[in-house]
Amino acid sequence: MYTGTQVDMFCIYLCTCVLVYLCTCLLVYLFTCVLVYLCTCLLVYLFTCVRSPVYSFPMRPYLFTLLFLLLTVILSIAIGSVFIPPADLWRILTGWLSAAPLPESLKTFAFIIASIRLPRTALVLLTGAALGGSGAAYQGLFRNPLADPYLIGVASGAGLGAAVAMSIQWPYTFWGLLAVPLTGFLAAMLTVLLVYSLARVGKTVPTTNLILAGVAFSAFATSLTSFLMLRSTGELRRAFAFLLGGFTQAGWNPVLTILPFLAIGLGFLVLSGHALNLLQFGDEQAQQLGLPVTRTKTLILVAASLATAAAVSFSGIIGFIGLIVPHVMRLWWGADYRRLLPLSILGGAGALLLADVFSRVVMAPQELPVGIVTALVGAPFFLWVLRRAKNQGYW
Amino acid sequence: MSHKLTFALLIVTLFMAACGPAQTPAPTSVATQPPATEQPTAALQPTAAPITLTDGLGRTVTLTGPAQRVVSLAASNTEILFAVGAGAQVVGRDEASSYPEAVSSIPTVGGWSGFSSESIVALQPDLVLAGGINPPELVASLEQLGLTVYLLPNPVTLEEMYTNLETVGALTGHEADAAALVESLKGRVAAVDARIATVNTKPSVYYELDATDPVKPYTAGPGTFVDLLIQRAGGTNIGAQLQSQWAQISLEQLVVSNPDMIILGDSAYGETPEKVAARPGWETLSAVKEGKVYPFDDNLVSRPGPRLVDGLEALAKLLHPEVYK
Repeated sequence: MYTGTQVDMFCIYLCTCVLVYLCTCLLVYLFTCVLVYLCTCLLVYLFTCVRSPVYSFPMRPYLFTLLFLLLTVILSIAIGSVFIPPADLWRILTGWLSAAPLPESLKTFAFIIASIRLPRTALVLLTGAALGGSGAAYQGLFRNPLADPYLIGVASGAGLGAAVAMSIQWPYTFWGLLAVPLTGFLAAMLTVLLVYSLARVGKTVPTTNLILAGVAFSAFATSLTSFLMLRSTGELRRAFAFLLGGFTQAGWNPVLTILPFLAIGLGFLVLSGHALNLLQFGDEQAQQLGLPVTRTKTLILVAASLATAAAVSFSGIIGFIGLIVPHVMRLWWGADYRRLLPLSILGGAGALLLADVFSRVVMAPQELPVGIVTALVGAPFFLWVLRRAKNQGYW
Repeated sequence: MSHKLTFALLIVTLFMAACGPAQTPAPTSVATQPPATEQPTAALQPTAAPITLTDGLGRTVTLTGPAQRVVSLAASNTEILFAVGAGAQVVGRDEASSYPEAVSSIPTVGGWSGFSSESIVALQPDLVLAGGINPPELVASLEQLGLTVYLLPNPVTLEEMYTNLETVGALTGHEADAAALVESLKGRVAAVDARIATVNTKPSVYYELDATDPVKPYTAGPGTFVDLLIQRAGGTNIGAQLQSQWAQISLEQLVVSNPDMIILGDSAYGETPEKVAARPGWETLSAVKEGKVYPFDDNLVSRPGPRLVDGLEALAKLLHPEVYK
């Protein structure tokens, strides 16, 4: 027998189900439309402007960067707050490869590696790749050495979204737990959209307008975030953790969630190398060379923002990687974007992995927010690279 | 073109909302995760009945028997565990846990800036006792690793604190100890109540949490244990009129309120009555003039555990020394 409230609850439940179902249908439909649209855009784009001249690059930069990445992956798996002797690590890894049952004494170590370190390594790797790649794309797009993936408001938007989500006490459910990353992501994309539409002049989007609108909106959103944080009582620490960057959610779910967005975003960026090269001549000249400038810029902007926003949603705001990795790659291997983009993606992943290893061991078992480490270790390193390269013509 | 693009962007953001999470399996499917470790402790209590309780996040937590290896993620939880007699079962703690002294030999698993899930897993706990200060993301992560996590809700009244003591007693197999502890705490509170009932003054108190900027110090607002305990100890908290719990008060407001007494909860950070007297503008306060500025152990009133009653007694003695002669 139902009491009044139970009936009410049941009705609410039913309505919610129907609503959720309808929304899902609508979104699946929209999703399909968008996918088709994006694919069409991609094809048009590919056939109009990316037919780059045949070129061959020496493999050395790729090999070098891949080696660095591999090394950091190994470090990230081997090092953590729990010390796993290298011999045990080797036995576990070879045990998995040969599918032999592990001895009882290694079960905990094996579990730590499989369920904590591997997914975390994957998440850090993807985040670093997204930040490095988008950083290089933004720098090329804005033709500005100070550009980083957060230039036009992804970080401030995500921070604001996350702070808003944190100020509401979500129930401990699947969606409640996803509220912060989801809101962060949506707010980041909405901010980019807003900044883009504010900066538009007629049919063109002048770069200066974009930067100024982005900086102004970022200042606004950051202040609002600070205001929300000061008003809140208990959630200050959580918001800080997000704003300083860090990997709070364990397991493979975050990795699987951001993977498709990164695949779309970064995949697109890797293909835009030639377009970015042309854009370095300036909008007008690129247009004369046959590049559909506004469309190209918009698509690169969307792809880079998509990757950054997805990365930020689960990892918080990690500064500096997106700024210095492309610069280091450019200083070492030259400014050709066809090569710079993939190298920045690989290098960003490696650099962030290294920073994350630092953040885990410096104060172990406490974890330092990785955003602190990236600037603390990254800035001196970058200054060293810059100093060494001072005689070369740079940028 | 650009309008179409704007629209497309909007749709992209919408589809993220739908598809982002849909591509992941629900985190509730913990069963698919490999079990954290063999639970050797289950064998220690072969006859114990399973314990099922609802925690502060509304989750139903089931233990096969009283927890034998507990990791505490909050200082208050550690104090509660030791107070109910489960101190020997604590195998890990957070950085802030500092009481009782025996905790210093227990390994830490993290602190304010983050916890190391691998350190927690390596301790092979059969219960991770989280507190209201731990974010739900942490609980979800640990749960996903196959650990049993119980989040002790943040109490706002002494009764809720007693309930927490009983909960921890039940989780660790110390029901009787917890019940006895609650009885004795209730007795001590009643004794304070009885003494305070005889007083006829109600001194106003400014409780200082932080005065890094002495023009805009922080005090405890309404709904905090500081506020509750000051009232219970026969005083009024001038912070009660403020909006938030960790509330900023201006020196102007402080001068207008002119509290009878200043209690320095930030004495652990080096604030002393002498420093307060030397702060510019503070000499006008009558509490400063009369020397009614007292250092205080903030841990007694900020950690929602059994020592709140110690805090109540200490406050009652400060506020009404006349009934404690």
